[in-house]
Amino acid sequence: MTRRIPPGLIWVAPALFVLAALSIYPLLYLIKVSLTDSHGITLANYARLFQDRLFSVAAGQTLLYAAFALAFEFFLGLGLALLIDSLVHGRALIRVGLLAPMLLPPVVAAVIWRLIYNPEFGVLNGMLRQLGINTANLTWTSGRSSAMLSVILVDVWEWTPFLFLLLTAGLQAIPAEPLEAARVDGAGYWQTLRDVILPLLKPVILLALLLRSMDLLRIFDQIFLLTQGGPGSATETVSLYIYRTAFRFSNFGYAAAMSFVGLVITMLAARGLMRLMRV
Amino acid sequence: MTRTSTHSLTVAAPGILWSRDRQGSGWANNRMKTLAKYAAALAALAFALAPIYWLITISIKREIDQFASPPLWFSFTPTLVHYTAIFTHEAFGRYFLNSIVVSTCSTLIALTLGLPAAYGLARFPWPHDWSRSISFWILSNRMLPPIVTIIPLFLMLRQVHLLNSLVGLILVDVALNLPFVVWMMRGFVEELPREIEEAAMLDGESRVGVLLRFVLPLVRPGLAATAVFCLIVAWNEFLFALILSQTESAMTLPVGIAAHVTQYEIQWGAMSAAGVVAMLPVLIFAAAAQRYFVRGLSLGALKG
Repeated sequence: MTRRIPPGLIWVAPALFVLAALSIYPLLYLIKVSLTDSHGITLANYARLFQDRLFSVAAGQTLLYAAFALAFEFFLGLGLALLIDSLVHGRALIRVGLLAPMLLPPVVAAVIWRLIYNPEFGVLNGMLRQLGINTANLTWTSGRSSAMLSVILVDVWEWTPFLFLLLTAGLQAIPAEPLEAARVDGAGYWQTLRDVILPLLKPVILLALLLRSMDLLRIFDQIFLLTQGGPGSATETVSLYIYRTAFRFSNFGYAAAMSFVGLVITMLAARGLMRLMRV
Repeated sequence: MTRTSTHSLTVAAPGILWSRDRQGSGWANNRMKTLAKYAAALAALAFALAPIYWLITISIKREIDQFASPPLWFSFTPTLVHYTAIFTHEAFGRYFLNSIVVSTCSTLIALTLGLPAAYGLARFPWPHDWSRSISFWILSNRMLPPIVTIIPLFLMLRQVHLLNSLVGLILVDVALNLPFVVWMMRGFVEELPREIEEAAMLDGESRVGVLLRFVLPLVRPGLAATAVFCLIVAWNEFLFALILSQTESAMTLPVGIAAHVTQYEIQWGAMSAAGVVAMLPVLIFAAAAQRYFVRGLSLGALKG
């Protein structure tokens, strides 16, 4: 009977115990908090979710942010990966330089972009003025209509390197034979790219999109540090709204319900993408 | 006879294609293309690095140069006043120390728990595909959004009075890094040949002895790289620290900087000097673990 317990379990048990204590238990606790109020068990927190206009605004803006950032980062990352891969000299050095932004602490990235975006003293408007452009209306992160685009640009700066890194690794893993065969057959560059390189790169592309979109949907740090969701609610996202509900207004029940629903939606999205990856 | 065979050989060789490309207008065209490629690569490099360079210059400029219009990129008198200012500021030293304590302790604990788990998953006989399922479950913990786990963790830690203490933050960072350690180290252990370990066990060495005397020395480079990634993650971590360490005495560097960014918006010198100090360890560590970038940053998922 004792043989049925795998001998390796004792080696894994401490790690499993710590993870269970700090992730499964909290998850159950979260569900419990979302289902209770001072009177007892209730579904009120979930019912409120469907009528909360602020939540749907935040959800819409999160999707908008994620979609635009993902599109920019993917095409830039792919283009750069292909470009640097085709260079003869200095590839390694250029790659290292391009990766720097994603390694910085998010707070440092935010400090940097505050220095850049400041409408009066920022270097961006400074350079534009040098070119003779009137910057009186260019308020970047502090403007209602420009704030969203400005934080997306920061995301593109910070995280295009991640897609560049994964896609470069994918390119380097492509075997030489099919490329050689395409050249012998007289295929041009674009034809080789479309018919040979991209199909072989597909698994890596899907993986990169999956990992990045998971992170984009939970976006918090950059936006919190640059705009706090403002001006007004112009850059409010789901994570920020949950943060405010729980830690500013101490409404933990409602915040728990929102984050549980958010979690379920992200899981379903991830599952969908994973299924796509198998194909 | 020999002539024809030589001829057909040269036609088949790829060199011929090359020389045809280099003739006439094709050659100039190619040169323009190469130039354009390098120009594009340098533009991308400038977009990536100029903001970081700008932060560094602001941190060593006198106030009058910081706000100069047009902006001063190269010609200004450097000064270290902002650095002496932050290091003589009592709270900043505290944040810095807290960050060092939290990231080193959480990394050490994650490695101590994670290495045996990785070894267990890689080397023991498991029924069916338990090893795979357990590994995937462990990795799936990493996919939980921090904003989801932070609410219950905050409430739990409040109950046991571990808010605003480094202990609570260390625990949370362990949970953040542990899946990553297990996943990375399992890969490194699986790459080792089993024969040495099996021979050692035939000689009467225990499993623990095998791990410490044979496996550990061989996976040391991988372990070091994993440690570097854990250190970077814990050092950069913002959301957990923001919520779990709200008092001056418990704040980590990112939270401390963020607090001052919003308080003294216009103190650019101190803000950017603190930013440079927070950024330097990460860049140094990253340079040390460069070879393992892809594996580390994609969670080893590329290897499947």
